[in-house]
Amino acid sequence: MKSDPSYPSDKSDVSACAGRMTRNMRRELDITTDKIDELALLQRRELAGDMGAVLCFLGVVRGTEQGRPIAAIDYEVFARMARRQFDLIFDQVEKRWPVASVRLVHRVGRVAAGEPSLWVETIAPHREEAFAACQFIIAEMKRVVPIWKNPCPV
Amino acid sequence: MRIRVHFYSYCKDLTGCASVSERVEPGSRIEDLLQKLFVRFPRLAPAQKSLLVAVGVDYQGADHVLQEGDEVSLFPPVQGG
Repeated sequence: MKSDPSYPSDKSDVSACAGRMTRNMRRELDITTDKIDELALLQRRELAGDMGAVLCFLGVVRGTEQGRPIAAIDYEVFARMARRQFDLIFDQVEKRWPVASVRLVHRVGRVAAGEPSLWVETIAPHREEAFAACQFIIAEMKRVVPIWKNPCPV
Repeated sequence: MRIRVHFYSYCKDLTGCASVSERVEPGSRIEDLLQKLFVRFPRLAPAQKSLLVAVGVDYQGADHVLQEGDEVSLFPPVQGG
């Protein structure tokens, strides 16, 4: 069995910290079969006056997988656990950086090549925190959030 | 005691089902459950080193002691994004 990919050293810290800290960071998570509506997401953006960095990342399904053309990726998710793991990741973000807002949409089900499967937005006072938090979220997602890809051949 | 086990991604293909019920002795650990499952589903055994295990919605290691009514999920490394 592979070693536990959760946060063995940080887990208790997170719980302990959760008791102390006020959860001020805005967090929104949507795991959906619907297409990602970037315009609607932008319209719902909330930007406080002291925030100087807004970072948006869009992950798009490539038209090839391991050198072979594909028509789509079929994403499978264990939704209840995915929400829990995203929440733990957001806890870590809130603990590490002064991020005001994290919003994340992950599409599941069949996503055609060329369409976005992932949208992440981080808002922070400065770009360093916004970039660091966004990178962290995506890296951790790929490590612990139970979502799997099934490429669909052309 | 009975434990419900769910399979995801190619674990589902290897077992041919999405979930099963497995009986284990009280005090059993995840490792004990896995050994039973590998006997029941021999195609699952070669994937042992890469398998991830969750109880409920949290990851757990091989030494985790199971409780009556636990829902265990088995799956390969995740690939979101």
